[in-house]
Amino acid sequence: MGFKHMFSGVGKRVKKCWTFAGSHYRFVFFIGLLSGIVLLLFSHKFVEYTSTDSSCEACHVHPQATSSWKLSVHYGNTSGVIVHCVDCHLPPDGIKYLTAKAKTGIKDIWGFLLKNKDKIDWEAKSTLEHAKKHTFNASCTHCHQNLFQLDLSQQGVNAHLDYVNNPEGKVCIQCHLDAGHYDPNALHAHNTEFAEMPDESREIYTQPAVVSSFESFTEFIPKSPVSFEMITVPEGIFTLGSPEKEALRDEDEGPQRRIKISKFFMGKVEVSWEEYMAFFSQTSAEGKSETSSSGNGEVDGITGATPPWGAPDQGWGKETRPAITMTHHAASVYCQWLSSITGKNYRLPTEAEWEYACRGGTETAYFFEGSAKDYSEEKFWNKIFGADTSIIAGYVCYRGNIPNKTQKPSFVKENPFGLINMLGNVAEFCSDWYSPEIYSTYPTGNRVAVNPKGPASGKEHVIRGGAYWSDAKDVRSAARENTQHDSWLLTDPQIPKSIWWYSDSKHVGFRVVCEWDGE
Amino acid sequence: MEKKQVVSRRKFLGTAGTIGVVGSIGMSSLIAACGKDKSGKNLPELNKLDQAPDGEVLKAGLVGCGNRGTGAAFDFLNAGPNLELVALADVFDDQVQLCRGKLKKNKNVDIPDNMCFTGFDGYKKLIESGVDIVLLATPPHFRPEHLAACVEAKKHVFMEKPAAVDPVGIRSIIGSAKKAEAIGLCIVGGTQRRHQRDYLETYRQVQMGAIGDIVAANGYWLQNHVWYRTRQEEWSDMEYMIRNWNNFRWLCGDHFLDTHVHNIDVINWFSGGQPISVIGGGARHRRLTGDQWDFFSVDFYYGNGVHSHSMSRQIDNCANATAEHIRGTEGYTNCQNTIFNPDGSIKWKYKYPEDANGNETTTPKVSPYVQEHIDLVTAIRTNQPIVEAEELALSTLTAIMGREAAYTGKKFTWEEISRSSMRMGPSEYVMGPVDMEVVTPVPGTAHGQF
Repeated sequence: MGFKHMFSGVGKRVKKCWTFAGSHYRFVFFIGLLSGIVLLLFSHKFVEYTSTDSSCEACHVHPQATSSWKLSVHYGNTSGVIVHCVDCHLPPDGIKYLTAKAKTGIKDIWGFLLKNKDKIDWEAKSTLEHAKKHTFNASCTHCHQNLFQLDLSQQGVNAHLDYVNNPEGKVCIQCHLDAGHYDPNALHAHNTEFAEMPDESREIYTQPAVVSSFESFTEFIPKSPVSFEMITVPEGIFTLGSPEKEALRDEDEGPQRRIKISKFFMGKVEVSWEEYMAFFSQTSAEGKSETSSSGNGEVDGITGATPPWGAPDQGWGKETRPAITMTHHAASVYCQWLSSITGKNYRLPTEAEWEYACRGGTETAYFFEGSAKDYSEEKFWNKIFGADTSIIAGYVCYRGNIPNKTQKPSFVKENPFGLINMLGNVAEFCSDWYSPEIYSTYPTGNRVAVNPKGPASGKEHVIRGGAYWSDAKDVRSAARENTQHDSWLLTDPQIPKSIWWYSDSKHVGFRVVCEWDGE
Repeated sequence: MEKKQVVSRRKFLGTAGTIGVVGSIGMSSLIAACGKDKSGKNLPELNKLDQAPDGEVLKAGLVGCGNRGTGAAFDFLNAGPNLELVALADVFDDQVQLCRGKLKKNKNVDIPDNMCFTGFDGYKKLIESGVDIVLLATPPHFRPEHLAACVEAKKHVFMEKPAAVDPVGIRSIIGSAKKAEAIGLCIVGGTQRRHQRDYLETYRQVQMGAIGDIVAANGYWLQNHVWYRTRQEEWSDMEYMIRNWNNFRWLCGDHFLDTHVHNIDVINWFSGGQPISVIGGGARHRRLTGDQWDFFSVDFYYGNGVHSHSMSRQIDNCANATAEHIRGTEGYTNCQNTIFNPDGSIKWKYKYPEDANGNETTTPKVSPYVQEHIDLVTAIRTNQPIVEAEELALSTLTAIMGREAAYTGKKFTWEEISRSSMRMGPSEYVMGPVDMEVVTPVPGTAHGQF
C-alpha cells in the first residue's frame, strides 16, 4: 500500500463515482436533450399551428372579418398567393413576432373568457384608428418590398415617393385600409359616382322661402326636393368662454369676455348630406382643377367641388346625417352658393355666434345639467365605475353613447334655442381663424365686444362642439378646437391636394347661419 | 453606410433649422463634411474600362435622330464589341434619313426601312421592334413619356440630359427610375461628367477632404447663341416648334436646363444634395425666335451659409466660360482636374495620359461621351445594374427651380418645386396649330403696379 495504491484507490473511487453518477447524469442529460428537442419541435409546431388562419379563427370569432378578408386582394388575386392573418396582424419573424403573439394570445383568451362577443362593435374595430393598433406596418413592407411596381400609376408613384422620403407618421393602411379586408367605403380613389342622386319622387322646389319677419322658417333649396329648418336666435349679451374653475377646461377658453350678438337665424341641425349633395350635384364638374377656387357669387358662377376622394360619408349613409369631410373652403363656398340661389345672406357662424347659440342663455358647462367631472372618462372614478350619463346622453352624440359614427338629428333633444346637435355628432366649422389668445384681445370690464370675428388672419380655423368620438369634456359649450389642415390631407396623393375634400378627417361638418337685415 | 449618411444629414438639417420639412422628392442637404470619407476606403474605385466587356449582341434603337442623337448612336457603337444599332425613330422622316445616311457612311451600319419609325408614336414602335437598349435623345419635353414606355417594356436606357422640363415630368422620371431599379434595368444619363475620369478622380479627392468643408460654389455656361430655324411657310405651328425646339421653353426648358444642368449637376454631385431655396434673374434681349431667355443669373442656397451662383448665357461677343468652381475651408477646385491651396498654389493635379512624344495630353484616355456608353454596357453585361435617372432628375429639378425663380422674380423652395403641379406644353401632340400662348416671361411687375 503505497502512494500509488492510495492513488489507484482514489482513482477507482473516482471512476466508480463517475460511472455511477455518470450514468445518472448522462441519463438526465439525455432526457434533458431529448425533451429539449421535443419541446423545440413541439414549440415550433405549436407556434406554427397557432399561426394558422383556423387557429386564429378559433378564438377570434369574427365571421365578418373572415368573409371581408376573403373578398380582399389579400385573398383573391391573380397571383394565387393568400396572405394569412398572422402575416399582417403580427410583426415579421423574430423576437417581436413571439412577444406580439403572446400578447395577442393572452388578450384574446381574456376576451374569449370574459367578454360577450356579441357586444363587441366590430364596425369600430375595422376603422383606421383601430386597425392601426393591430396591423404591423413592418409586416406590410416585409412582403411589399417593391413600392414601385411596373404598373403603379403616377399618383401612386407620387404617394409612395412621399412615403419613402418622409415615412414619419405614415402607415400603409392609411391609403390601403381595404387591402386585407374588403370595404367598399375604404376605396382610395376619386369617387366619380358620388354625385349621382337617387331617383327622386319627392316634390322639387322651385322657389326659396320668403322671409318677411324675424321668425323661424323652412328654407327650400330650388331645383331640389331638399328643405331645412332655420331657427331664430334673438339678440343678446352673453359671457364667452369658461370660468377658470370649470372642470376639465382648457386654457384657450379664457379669459371670459362679455359679448353682444345681433339677432340671426341658425340651421336647426348641422348641414345634412341631402343639403350638401344638392350643392354638389348642382355645381360640381368632374375634372375641374383642384386649384380653381370659388366663383364670383353669381347664380351660375360658383365653381363646385371636384369628385371626392373615397367615400366621404364613410358608408354610414347620407340623407339627414351631417355632411362631413369637406374642407373649410368648401363649406364657405356652399354658403355662397346657398346665398346665391336663395337670395339671402348665408354664411358660417362666427365663433362667438356659435357659442351664444349653443349656450341658449345658460352659463354652465353644458346647456343641460351636470359638469364634465360627472361625465368624462378622463376622471378615474368614472372610468373604473362608470358614470351616470343619462342626462348628457339625451342631448349629445359623443363617445359615451355612440362612439363610432355620426347620428341622424332625431337621436338627441334640442337646446334652449331649439337647436340640435350643437354639442357632439360632428364638430362645426366657424368662420374665425383660430388663436388660443384671441379672447384676451376683446374688451374687459363693463365694455362688451359687439359681434367679434376673431383674428384677421391665421393658418387654422376654429371648429366647435366636439364630435361623435369626443370625450364628455370636449363637448362642453366653451370647448374650442381647430382644424389641422395639413394632416387632414395627409393621404391625398394628388398634386396639388384637393381644396374641396379632406382625405383624413371624418368628424367635422358645419352649420349655416343666415343674417337678418330686417328692422 | 448610405443610411447613416442620410440620418446624419437629416440631423444636421434639423439642428441648422433651415427647413422644417424635408422635400417630397430627394433629400436637401448641405454642402459640408457630411459623408466625407478621409481614407477614401468607402468611395467607389475608379476602375473605368476602356472598352465594354464582350458578350451577347446588344441591339440598340435611337429615339431622336438629331445631332446629339446621332452622336449618341456613334458613341454607343464605339463602346465595345457586339453592339449594334438597329432602329431609328424621329418625329420627322428627314431627320431619320439624315441619321441613317451618317450611320451608313461613317459606320457602315444599314438600317432597313422597316426599322425606321416616324411620327409622335414612332418611339413606341421602336421599343416593340426587338431592341435591348433605347437611346433617348429627343427634346427633353418628351423624355418622361419615353422613359416610362421604355421601363414598362423592360428596356435598358441611355437618356440624354435634361430629364424633363417641368416638375410633373420630373416626378414621372423619378417614378420610372424607381421602377427600373426594382427590376434590375440599367439607365445611364447624359451628364457625362459623372463618367469623365478626371472629374471622377477630382471628386474622389474632394470627398477625401482635399478642400475641407465646402463653403461656396460657382457654375458657368456662357456661350454664343446656339442655333435657330427660320419658319418655313409650309410648316405648321407644331412642326416649326419642334424643328426649332432649342428656342421654345416647353420643348427645351430653356438653356438654364438644357446646357447649364451639367454645371448644376456637378455641384449637386460634389456636395451630395440639392439646394433648399433659390432666387434669380435674367432677361431676353438678343434672341430672334421662340420664347426663351438669353441669360440667367441665379443664386442657389444650400443651407448653412453655403451659396452656389449659377450663370447661363447664350449671346454672341461676350465672355464665354464653361466651368464649375467649388471652394472649401482648405482650398478650392475646378472640379475637373485640379485642387488648389487657399493661396492659389496647386495641391493636386489629375495626371492625363501621355501622347506618343511623352507629353501629357489634356483629355482623359476615353472620351466621356463614349465612357458613359461603356459604363452602360458594362453594367448590363456584368449584371451590376446602375440607374442614374433619379440623380439626373434631381439636378434637372434644381435647374427648373432656378429657372422659375428667375422667370418670376420670386423665391422658390425645394419643397415648393417638388410638389409643384406645373406642366409645360400643349396637352396633346399633333402636327398642326398649337393652342398655347407663346410669351417670354417677365419677372415681377411694372413700376407702380401691384
